[in-house]
Amino acid sequence: MLFCFKSKGMQILIVEDEASLMESMVSYLGLEGFKCEQASDFRTGVGMLDRHDYLCMLIDLNLPDGDGLDLVKLARENKSESGIIIISARNAIEERVAGLEAGADDYLVKPFHLSELVARVHSVARRTHMDGGEVLRFGAIRVEPEEHTCFVDDKPVDLTRKELDLLLYFMANRNRVVTKEGIADYLWGEYGGDYGSYDFVYTHLKNMRRKLVDVGCPDYVRNIYGVGYKFSLD
Amino acid sequence: MKLLTKSTLYIATLSLFLFFIMGVIFFQVLRNLSISDLNRELGDLKEVVEVYLDDFWGSQIGALPGIDSLSVRPAGNIVQTEDIFGDTLKYDVKNEQYRTYRYLQYISQKGEEYLLVRIYKSTTPTDKLVERVTLMITLMVILFLAGIFILNRFMFASLWKDFFDAIEKLKRFETTKEPVILGEQDIQEFDELKQVLEVMTRRLSNDYRELKEYTDHTTHELQTPLAVIKSKTELLIQSDKLGAEEMKLLEAINTSVHQLSRLNSTLTLITRIENRQFTEKEEIALEGLLERHLELLEEHIGLKRIVLKKHYQDGGKTLFMDQGLADLLVANLLKNAIVHNIEGGCIELETGPQSLVIRNDGPPLEFNQEELFTRFVRNTRRTGSFGLGLSLVKKVCEYYNFIIEYSFDSQKHTFIIQFPD
Repeated sequence: MLFCFKSKGMQILIVEDEASLMESMVSYLGLEGFKCEQASDFRTGVGMLDRHDYLCMLIDLNLPDGDGLDLVKLARENKSESGIIIISARNAIEERVAGLEAGADDYLVKPFHLSELVARVHSVARRTHMDGGEVLRFGAIRVEPEEHTCFVDDKPVDLTRKELDLLLYFMANRNRVVTKEGIADYLWGEYGGDYGSYDFVYTHLKNMRRKLVDVGCPDYVRNIYGVGYKFSLD
Repeated sequence: MKLLTKSTLYIATLSLFLFFIMGVIFFQVLRNLSISDLNRELGDLKEVVEVYLDDFWGSQIGALPGIDSLSVRPAGNIVQTEDIFGDTLKYDVKNEQYRTYRYLQYISQKGEEYLLVRIYKSTTPTDKLVERVTLMITLMVILFLAGIFILNRFMFASLWKDFFDAIEKLKRFETTKEPVILGEQDIQEFDELKQVLEVMTRRLSNDYRELKEYTDHTTHELQTPLAVIKSKTELLIQSDKLGAEEMKLLEAINTSVHQLSRLNSTLTLITRIENRQFTEKEEIALEGLLERHLELLEEHIGLKRIVLKKHYQDGGKTLFMDQGLADLLVANLLKNAIVHNIEGGCIELETGPQSLVIRNDGPPLEFNQEELFTRFVRNTRRTGSFGLGLSLVKKVCEYYNFIIEYSFDSQKHTFIIQFPD
C-alpha cells in the first residue's frame, strides 16, 4: 500500500448511473486496494452518504432522479470530511465553479483516464486526510509532496515541478500501464493533446528517468509495447 | 441619426423653403398694390394741379393739400404725350435726409406755353406699412415653426413610445432569450409589429432552448459511451495475457477514442459560442493572459527551441470578455504559432493600444488562405489535428466584434487582432 490512511478506511463511494463506467471504476480502483460502495441513483446515494467514513466520494452530476450537485451539498451539510470529486460530462467553467463552490475538492470531466482518476483520488485524499509532512516511498525513492522534494537513498534529486508531478502520477498508478495520452492530459490538461505528437511527454519522461538513474536509482519505468509505461519494482 | 432629429430636419427644411417662397411672393404683391395705389392717387392729384395751374399760373405757388412737392417749369423742347410715373430720391430739408418719392410727370399746355409738371408723393408711409406687415409675417412664421417643433416632439414621444418600448425589450431578448411580450397597441402598424415580434421571438426562444438542450444531451450522450470505451480500453491494457499484437490494436483504439472525445468537446464549445452562451464579462489584462499561457506552453516552446520576442506596449491593454473565451483565444493562437513553427524558429508577440499581433516562422500554407478559419481545414501532413483551433479563434473574435486578419510574408505567418473601442 502506497498510502496509509490510518484514521480512515480505504472506502470510496461512487454515485454513477452508467453501470458500465461504474464497473470500470470499481475494477481499476479495486486493483489499487480501494473498496468501492456503489450507488446508481440519487436516492441510493443519499442513503449511503453516512454509511461509512469514506476516504473519497466520486459523484456524477447527471443522475436520473436528481442533481449530483445537491448530493455534494448534502454531504457538506452533514459535516462530511471526505474528499469529493465530481465526475461529469459537463465541461463549462460555470459548472466547474458551481461544483467547487458546493464543496467538491476536484472536478473531472468525462471521458477521463482511470489512471488520472486514481491520481486525483490520491491527491484529494492527501489534501483532506493528511496534515502535511507525509512521506511517500517507492523502492529507493522517497517523495515529500508538500515540500516538493525527492530523495533516492537519502540523496536529493533535483526534479522540476512537472517531473515531480509525473513521478507522483507513476507512483499513484504503480504496477499499472499508463498511456501517454493519460500522462499528457494529467500534466497539461487541455494543453495535453491536439498537438499531433507527444514529444513533450517523452522529453519529460526521459529527463525524469535520467535524473533518477544518475543518483543510483534503478529504472522502474518500463515501456509496454508502445502503448504506455509501467512503473514497477520488477 | 435619430428618428426625431431626422423628421424635425425634414419639416424644418420644407417649411423654411415654403415660407421663403411665400414671403417673396407676398412682399411683391404688397409692393405692387401700394405702388398702383400711389399711381392712382397721383392721377387724382393731377386734376387738382391742372385746376390750380389754370387759376394761379404766374402768381405765387402756395401749398396744395395732398401733394408733398410740386415742380413746374417750361418744357423747352421736351416732347411727351403720355403721363410718366417714376421713383426718385429727393433731399428733404426738414428731416435733413434723402427720401424716396413717387412722381407723376406730364406736359401741361397753358395758352402758348408748354409746362413740364412733376407731382411728388412720398413713399415713406407705404414703405413703413410694407415693413410692418413683413415683420409681422416673419414673426408668425417663427411662432408657427416653434409650434410645429414642440408639437412634433410631444407627438413623437407619445406616438412612438410603444416602438421604443419594443426596442428596449428586444435588446433584453439578447440576454434573457425570453419571448418579447408587448402591451396593448392602439396604433395599427405597431400592433402588427407587436404580433410579428412576439411570433418571431417566441420561435427564436424555442429554437434556442431546443438547441441548448440538444447540445447538452449530445454532449452527455456521447461523452458517456466514450468514457466507457476509454475506461474499458485502459482496463484491458492492464491485462498480463495480451501480447504485442493485441497491445498494438488497443493502442490504435485508445488513440482514436482520445481524438474522438477531443473532437466532441471542441465541437460542443463551438456550438456554445454560436449559441451565445457566454454572457459573463470581466476585465482581463492582455499581457497577463499572454504570460500565463506562455508559462503553460513553456515545454512546447522549449522542445522546438523556439525564440520568443515580446513587444508589449506601456500601460497594458485590458479586454472586457469572458475568461474562458479569452483563454481559448490566446491558447489556440499560441498553440498554432508553436505547432506550425519550424525547429529553432521565432514567435513575435506585439500588443498595441487596440491590437494584438502574433507572428511566427513557418512554411507556407498548403491550402487557400481564405479557408484558414474554416473548420476541418488543415495541413495534410499533420495527424491528430482537426483544424478546429483557428475556427474557434474566429468564432471568439466574431463574438466580441474583434477583427482578425492573416497574412503571409517572407516565411512568416502573421495574425493581427484588432479590438474595437
